[in-house]
This record gives sequence, C-alpha cells and structure tokens, in this order.
Amino acid sequence: MKPTRRDLIIGAGTIAASGALGVPAVLGQAKARIVVIGGGAGGATAAKYIARDGHGAIAVTLVEENETYQSCFHSNLYIGGFKNYDQIVHRYDAPTAAYGITLVRQRAARIDRDRKEVVLGDGSRLPYDRLVLSPGIDLKYDSVPGWSQAAEEVMPHGWKPGRQTRLIREKLDAVPDGGTIVMIAPPNPYRCPPGPYERASMFAHILTSTGRTKARVVILDPKDSFSKQGVFMPDWEKRYGAMIEWLSPRVHDGIKSVDPASGTVVTGFETYENCAFVNVIPAQMAGAIAREAGLAPAGGYCAIDPATMKSTADPAIFVLGDACNAGDMPKSAFSANNQAKIVAMVACSELAGGPAFPARYFNTCWSLVGPDDAIKVGGRYEPKDGRIAATETFISQPGESDEVRRQTQAENLAWYEAICADMFT
Amino acid sequence: MQMWIIPSCEGARRSSAAGSGLRRAWRGLGFAVLGSAAALLICDPALAAEDQALGRYLALECSSCHQLSGASVGGIPSIVGWPEAQFVAVLDAYRRKEREGQVMQAVAARLSRAEMVALAAYFGALSPKP
Ligand SMILES: Cc1cc2nc3c(=O)[nH]c(=O)nc-3n(C[C@H](O)[C@H](O)[C@H](O)COP(=O)(O)OP(=O)(O)OC[C@H]3O[C@@H](n4cnc5c(N)ncnc54)[C@H](O)[C@@H]3O)c2cc1C
Repeated sequence: MKPTRRDLIIGAGTIAASGALGVPAVLGQAKARIVVIGGGAGGATAAKYIARDGHGAIAVTLVEENETYQSCFHSNLYIGGFKNYDQIVHRYDAPTAAYGITLVRQRAARIDRDRKEVVLGDGSRLPYDRLVLSPGIDLKYDSVPGWSQAAEEVMPHGWKPGRQTRLIREKLDAVPDGGTIVMIAPPNPYRCPPGPYERASMFAHILTSTGRTKARVVILDPKDSFSKQGVFMPDWEKRYGAMIEWLSPRVHDGIKSVDPASGTVVTGFETYENCAFVNVIPAQMAGAIAREAGLAPAGGYCAIDPATMKSTADPAIFVLGDACNAGDMPKSAFSANNQAKIVAMVACSELAGGPAFPARYFNTCWSLVGPDDAIKVGGRYEPKDGRIAATETFISQPGESDEVRRQTQAENLAWYEAICADMFT
Repeated sequence: MQMWIIPSCEGARRSSAAGSGLRRAWRGLGFAVLGSAAALLICDPALAAEDQALGRYLALECSSCHQLSGASVGGIPSIVGWPEAQFVAVLDAYRRKEREGQVMQAVAARLSRAEMVALAAYFGALSPKP
C-alpha cells in the first residue's frame, strides 16, 4: 500500500522526535496488542487515540462491562433538572466502528501479569503487549459506621452512575418542605473534588424552585476545607440564604454512625433524626481490577510514572483516571481524558513508531451553583520530582458578575459536548 | 526581548506539506516570529514534518473542549480552519494575558512560539465537518 502523506509525516516526525529510541522492536511482527480495561473518560479516550495514532500497527481491544456509558460528570445537572437522563448516556458503536476497536462486553476478572494476559469473567484470556487500566473507583462501604452496600438503596451515594444517580433525584423529589437532607462528604482523595458541593447546590436549587424553602441541606464533612469553598460558600448564601449548612469536623466532631432504618445520623456534636434523605458519599479507592493486580497499596490508588502514566510496579501497564495517583491533578473526567492522550502518545511511540514528546497535562472542573451560574477551577501540570505537579492554576472569584458566571456555564455545557465527542465519536 | 526577522525560505515552504498554510501565517504575522528555533523549524522541510507531528500531539489537549469536527454549541468556539496568523496571535494574546479567559491563559502560559505555529498549522488544515 502506498503510504499516505500522513504516514510519511508521522514517520519523519518519529525520526526527528524519538530518534534515540530507534525502531521499535515489535515493528515487523504481527500487530502489537493493547488491551484497555474500562470504557470511561480515561479508557474510551485511550482506546480511540491509540487506535487512531497506531496507524494500523496496534490491535486495540476495549473491555467494558456495561453496554452504555452513563457519565457521572453532569449527573449533578440531571439531579438539578438541567439535563435529561438520556443526555448523559453514551454508546460505544461509533468509535469502535470508526477506529477498528474490538469491544469486549465483559467484566475483566483479573490480570495475569506474569503471562501478560487479562482473564475475563467467562474465563477466556486476552494477551497484551501493553495494558491500559482506567477502571475508575470503588467505594469503601465500611468507611461510614452503620452504612454498607446493603444500605445504598436507602442512603444512596450517587457516586457511581446509573440507578444510584436516579435514586438521588427520586429521594430529592420526595423531601417534604421543612425536611432535612444530610450529605456525608468523602475524605480526600476522591472522584471529583467539587462534586459534593455542586450536588448540594443542585439540591438547594430544586428545593427552592419547587417552593420547599423551609427544607435544609446539611453537609457533614470529614475535611477542614473543600474545593472552591471560597466561591461556593458566599454564592450559597447569596442564592439560597441559610438553606445549605456546611460543617467541618471542628464543628460536628466526627461522623459517628448512620442508621439507615430510621434515617438517623449521629455526629460527635449532634444527632439528626428522621432525615428526609441521607446522601452518603463514602471514602474511595482504585477499582478492584487494579488493586487486585497489586498495582495499588491497600485501599489506595496506583502509583504512576508522571512522564508516561505507567504503573511504577509494572512497565507494561498504564494506569490513568481516578484509579491512579496523579499528584496535583484532581480525579476528574477532564483529567482522565487528558491523561489518556499521554498514554496514547507513549503507547504509539513504543509500539507503532509514533513520535514521542514530553508529557504535559491540563484540567478544568466546572461546577454549577444555580441556573446560568457556574464556577471553575483548573490548571496546567507537568512531571516534576516523580509526580505530576501544577505549574499554573486558576479559580473563579467570589462576586464575579452574572455575565462571567453565565459565560462559565456556557463553557461547562460546551466542554461536556466536546469531551463526549472526543470519547464517543 | 530580542526579535528575529525571519529570512525568506519560500523554496522549503513549497516542498513541505504544510507550506502554503504556514506561508500564509507568516505573511499575516508580517513582522517577525520570536526565537530562532521557530524559524529553523519552519524552514527545514524535515523539521516541518516534525512540526506537523508536534501540532498533532499538542492538539490532543485542545479536543477536550474544542471539537475537531468544528461543531460548537456556543460557550467554547470552534477553532478549526482559522487563518494561522490569527490563531497564533490569539494564543499569544492569551499567553501575555492581554486577552481575558482563565482557561486559555493557563493553556497558553507555557506554549512556545514554535508550538503555537504548529497548533495553528494543524487546526488551520482541518475543515469543519457537516
Ligand atoms: C457526581 C459527580 C459529578 C462529576 N462531575 C464532573 C465534572 O463536572 N467534570 C469532570 O471532569 N469530572 C466529573 N466527575 C468525575 C468523573 O466522573 C470521573 O473522574 C471520571 O469518570 C473518571 O474516569 P475513569 O476513566 O477513571 O473512570 P470511569 O469514567 O468511571 O470509567 C470506568 C469504566 O470502567 C468500567 N470497569 C471498571 N472495572 C471494570 C472491569 N473489571 N471490567 C470491565 N469494565 C470495568 C466501568 O464500567 C466504567 O465504565 C464527576 C463525578 C461525580 C460522581
């Protein structure tokens, strides 16, 4: 086949950019094999760009247990009535067809690192030259005394997509005027640092806009401070008066227990009885598949090389997204999608002779506070001293004009469209 | 700050894939491009190919917010098919914090002139999909 102009360009770039690497060892053999576990913000993006930039030299297999991807990002907009549920549901058909990705609709049961094989739920095995892991988080069901997996229907978390997200909205709709919602916020590090506070904003928005102005939202936080606090708190007061009450551990003196049967939450300072709804967002850790492969410390996240996103425990495995410890980068869909591009660049350079460039990272997290009123936080990051470190950061300011906030929400909506196009088209 | 007037290298431009676009960018900029490295990158055909690969790599970051298809729902503009000189000028204005926008100021903060030119060539060569 006649090489295309693009092939030539990429080829020339390789020599110039990664000449020191020489010709990758796998060139000339059959296609290199990359298996991606998890079709979320990290995995779907990685699979697409490895397939696109591997120029036919890499066979990409995406292992995802669910038929559709239901995004946690913008699930708070669903809860707040700003999106329909079907607007946060996405399918894999388009990218798998367009880029020749093999989709395996199964749960990956375990990783055989010695044989470089993924063992699927049905016992079959997928051999790999490189493995990309983006399984997201698992919840620590034992991190809040009295709460458990069995209690997640009664006291939902809504921190994994699907039924849990819908349950949050159902419970919110059932809150009577004068009722109390208690949200138990998670300890660091967890998925989406501003997420609980955006969600509390959505609770208040729905309650006020449906006339339930005497209801209240109490956030019991195990942290002394939280993401964008200096902007959220004055905004809450301005927009929702005293409806949202945030309590640090210095005030509540620790979350002692919850009782799902009676809707009770006990702190060191007070007891909340007959809560209309308790939203328990527990502590989190890397997804099971990564932990059980020995890539994360007990109950933690996977250590990675910041220049490549490779596991420090296994150079044949990349770990990205929520499951890794990405230093200063927060666990966000933006981060996972961004890290996936470094993974793709490194993988294609190693297996398909693509160009190699220094890794650079970027993130922005938008949060909706009320209608047409969003705030943001973000930054640029680079590898430094063995970790991903922030080089520039920015954050919305309290008291910004309505026009700035409206514009920020317009960005938020446009970002969602773009990242989903980036993952699913 | 030192400025370099870029010498003419029309011959090299004509033989390189991104030639016409970059030439346009250049004329548009009219005056100068900062840094001899950028000038070298643009004039050497082999390096111009590397420049293309660089643009393609750097553009990966952009597509999280700016759709490669050119689609836009407002809020974040389409950046495909722009005149390259304008693309560079806008990025540079963000870099100098002369243009407002927290996200883009942080994006541009560490971009070199050569990187901006590479990005401008990459996006300039894309056309909006229907
Ligand atoms: C309420 C809320 C709001 C949020 N808002 C934002 C926001 O506004 N902006 C933002 O950037 N981020 C936001 N986030 C965070 C964002 O959702 C996550 O950071 C992001 O999804 C992480 O991507 P990931 O690829 O690591 O994991 P995920 O997107 O969770 O993808 C993991 C995938 O792996 C699959 N999987 C896991 N294990 C296996 C296995 N063994 N076999 C097969 N498949 C498996 C899962 O089914 C899933 O599809 C929010 C999160 C929440 C909870």
